[in-house]
Amino acid sequence: MKIQVYAILKDYFEKEFTLPQSFNNINELKSFLIDKNPKAEKALNISRFAVDNEFVENDHILKSNDSISIMPPSSGG
Amino acid sequence: MTASALCPPAAEVNYITSEPIDLAGLLAASHHPEAGAVVLFSGDVRDNNLGRNVSYLEYEAQEAMASKLILEILEEAKQKWKLNIAIAQHRIGKVGVSEAAVVVITATPHRREAYEANRHIIDRIKHEVPIWKCEYFADGTRLWGGNCNCHEITGNPNKHIYESENQ
Repeated sequence: MKIQVYAILKDYFEKEFTLPQSFNNINELKSFLIDKNPKAEKALNISRFAVDNEFVENDHILKSNDSISIMPPSSGG
Repeated sequence: MTASALCPPAAEVNYITSEPIDLAGLLAASHHPEAGAVVLFSGDVRDNNLGRNVSYLEYEAQEAMASKLILEILEEAKQKWKLNIAIAQHRIGKVGVSEAAVVVITATPHRREAYEANRHIIDRIKHEVPIWKCEYFADGTRLWGGNCNCHEITGNPNKHIYESENQ
């Protein structure tokens, strides 16, 4: 599973990394990442997730070769 | 007439750019024979935020998703307000004080629709489009900030509340 993180999440994780294990859904992936770096919990809980460049909800079912973007709330403009 | 037939020039604008935004050039390309109103909004970098001196901002985007979403936002607005022209561009990378970070241009037969649509477009860009600013302060510190905090009210990071719809 390929993961890309943005903005403040880069303070907690590599910008881009691969996870060998697979997760059933976004919630499971999120829990794994929070365990990995508890400091990222607040940012992860308010972030949006996308699979192959489409926004998904937290119960979205994942496949092992998915490419996932994790995006904190927008702050453009 | 379809929306795309109404707005031929918009397709040529890069929605995300690392170059300085050419406000004058984009405005010059935004005149239309049926439009009596052209509104240009430029979101500029301020030298202060929350009482602190800002040196510059740095913007980052999830570019593929940001471009696609800006296109969708513009297309929706074109249909809803029957816009003759709808253009938006957001800059990424380092943006200095007084420079434009984002521009939205709308052109319509009369001003009301141009203002309304313009405000709606910039609201949606700020809330939804995956673009982030990092503020670099004069004291050398930095802060990822100004986040959309709609999730505190809606409980869902995918659900937003728009200023232009709550007046």
